[in-house]
Amino acid sequence: MSMIVATAPRDQTRRRMHVDGWRWAGRIFLVFMLLYTALPMIWMLITSIKSGFAAMQFPPQWWPDEPTLASYKKLLDPQNSVGRDFLRFFWNSLLVATATTILSVIVAVPAAYAFSRFTFPGRNLLFFAVLLRNMFPAVIFLVPLFILMRAIGLVNTHGSLVLTYLTFGLPLAIWLLKGFYDNIPVQLEQAARIDGATRFQAFILIVMPLSTPGIIATAIYSFIGAWNEYIYAYTFLSKNDQLTLPVGIQRFFSENTTDFPGLMAASFMMSVPVVVLFLVLQRYFVRALTEGAVKH
Amino acid sequence: MTIVPGKTEARRRLQPDRSGVLRQIWQHRADYAYVLPAIAVMLIVIAYPIYYTVELSFFKTPPGLQLRDKTFIGFDNYTTILTSDVFWKVTWNTVVWTLGSTFFSFVLGFGAALALHRDFIGRGVLRAILIIPWVISAVAASYIWKWIYHSDFGIIGAVLVGLGLADRPPNFIDNVSTVLPSLIVVNIWREFPFAMIMMMAGLQTVPEQLLSAAKVDGASAWQRFWHVTFPHLGNVSTVTILLLAVANFNSFIIPWIMTGGGPSNASHIWITHIYELAFGRQRWGVASAYSVLLFLMLMVLGYFYVRALAGNDRKEGSA
Repeated sequence: MSMIVATAPRDQTRRRMHVDGWRWAGRIFLVFMLLYTALPMIWMLITSIKSGFAAMQFPPQWWPDEPTLASYKKLLDPQNSVGRDFLRFFWNSLLVATATTILSVIVAVPAAYAFSRFTFPGRNLLFFAVLLRNMFPAVIFLVPLFILMRAIGLVNTHGSLVLTYLTFGLPLAIWLLKGFYDNIPVQLEQAARIDGATRFQAFILIVMPLSTPGIIATAIYSFIGAWNEYIYAYTFLSKNDQLTLPVGIQRFFSENTTDFPGLMAASFMMSVPVVVLFLVLQRYFVRALTEGAVKH
Repeated sequence: MTIVPGKTEARRRLQPDRSGVLRQIWQHRADYAYVLPAIAVMLIVIAYPIYYTVELSFFKTPPGLQLRDKTFIGFDNYTTILTSDVFWKVTWNTVVWTLGSTFFSFVLGFGAALALHRDFIGRGVLRAILIIPWVISAVAASYIWKWIYHSDFGIIGAVLVGLGLADRPPNFIDNVSTVLPSLIVVNIWREFPFAMIMMMAGLQTVPEQLLSAAKVDGASAWQRFWHVTFPHLGNVSTVTILLLAVANFNSFIIPWIMTGGGPSNASHIWITHIYELAFGRQRWGVASAYSVLLFLMLMVLGYFYVRALAGNDRKEGSA
């Protein structure tokens, strides 16, 4: 596809005559992918505005006869026990994700900068050790971490989650940020140093502002990762009022196995913050992810 | 953690300098301050668990997480695992799951990246929609698809019946032969956007002059793709495929939420199986031995992973 695009004759009439098979294949493929991606999400939305009775019908109502926002009202109503739980889970998720994000940025920025700029003994070793962490699944760390958290008194606190999320988010954060620092010319800092700035001043005044897009991207990435995390939250927290959304929703569903409209509404609302964050800051997000892997 | 390439490389770099590693370390002491916070966190939360898991894998453990009365039994846990039928079944599932998810995610993502490479009206919107499944939580995704696959009220079943392709709605996830493919479809739904983003960025690095030159020389669209575009994407493809493979090998949420490994272990993969052994049946020793085996397997993957990333890093250094 791409080469057809790059070299397609500019001339309109010729282009129209020369609609070739590859381009059509591309269009059909995109329509297919759009359906594959969007239909499940649309079905989630349609289900969420049905009544419990309307959802349980065969054949299904493609569009609800009586659309209702009852499920959303129930989840967002603090008077109701379901709503109280949901709002609490939401708040917990927000708290954990925000704390993780802030700490990730504070720890990852200096580390990524060092990996990008300095050559100290063991630099490569440390860098790959950091990357290797990314390869190991959470399950391996669960038992020992649980015992560790108990030893330092963090079981059943949000602190245990923040500390764990920090470590699984860090490798990627460092890797992404390093890509950004690699692309900032060293000469800029050198000029500042010649003008009398210390290395630290040069870092704060020159490099930090230039790497803002990278920091924003890293922050979004950490936030989304922490918001969606399930395994550690599922294992470390047992008190109902501390659960985060993914675990809370699972618990909700295991108690109300047939309330699919409620479940879909909850899934939708759980997705809203991250999807909105992603759509607003998409540019940085996509750029950061590829910066590390693709060098220009 | 045998990080062979990194280690040897660091050593090679240091060897010509005869002034001594210690002195070098001392000279660079300020540099370590930048990395220290990250390394400290890593050590606590990574090195200790790894050590602990290896130790526990040689012990017979009582249920309960107190773990006081464990007894040393050598390699018994390992022989238990390797001689069980479940192990081989779960291993086969993991292979199918990892290869199937990785292959289709990459192909679909790459295809979407190629199709989105040309500018057209609505391209940005379309790209954003295609990426959303990757952003939303896997828990939400699992429930959405569970509802879609529902054996009585699922939309896919209803469509199949409506089109006359089935007499009654098929049961996708309570059926031993269809459960794994059904879950793989869900996983691909979440994973292909990642491949798409990576490959889109990769495509931007293909020099247009080369493509024009090939066109002038009379190369067909396919020839230009195969001989110009594709070779340029070798590196980014390797990294993408490896990251996908590692992520898929390590996935937990989708099988765990949708089926919990059932029916009769048909959708258990390594990670879900380890989780069930540890937290479901409280067989900590066996679960730890499983984890150590998993380490060893990941090491093999990790060798290629680090090599691909390191190769990438070096290229950037010389550019």
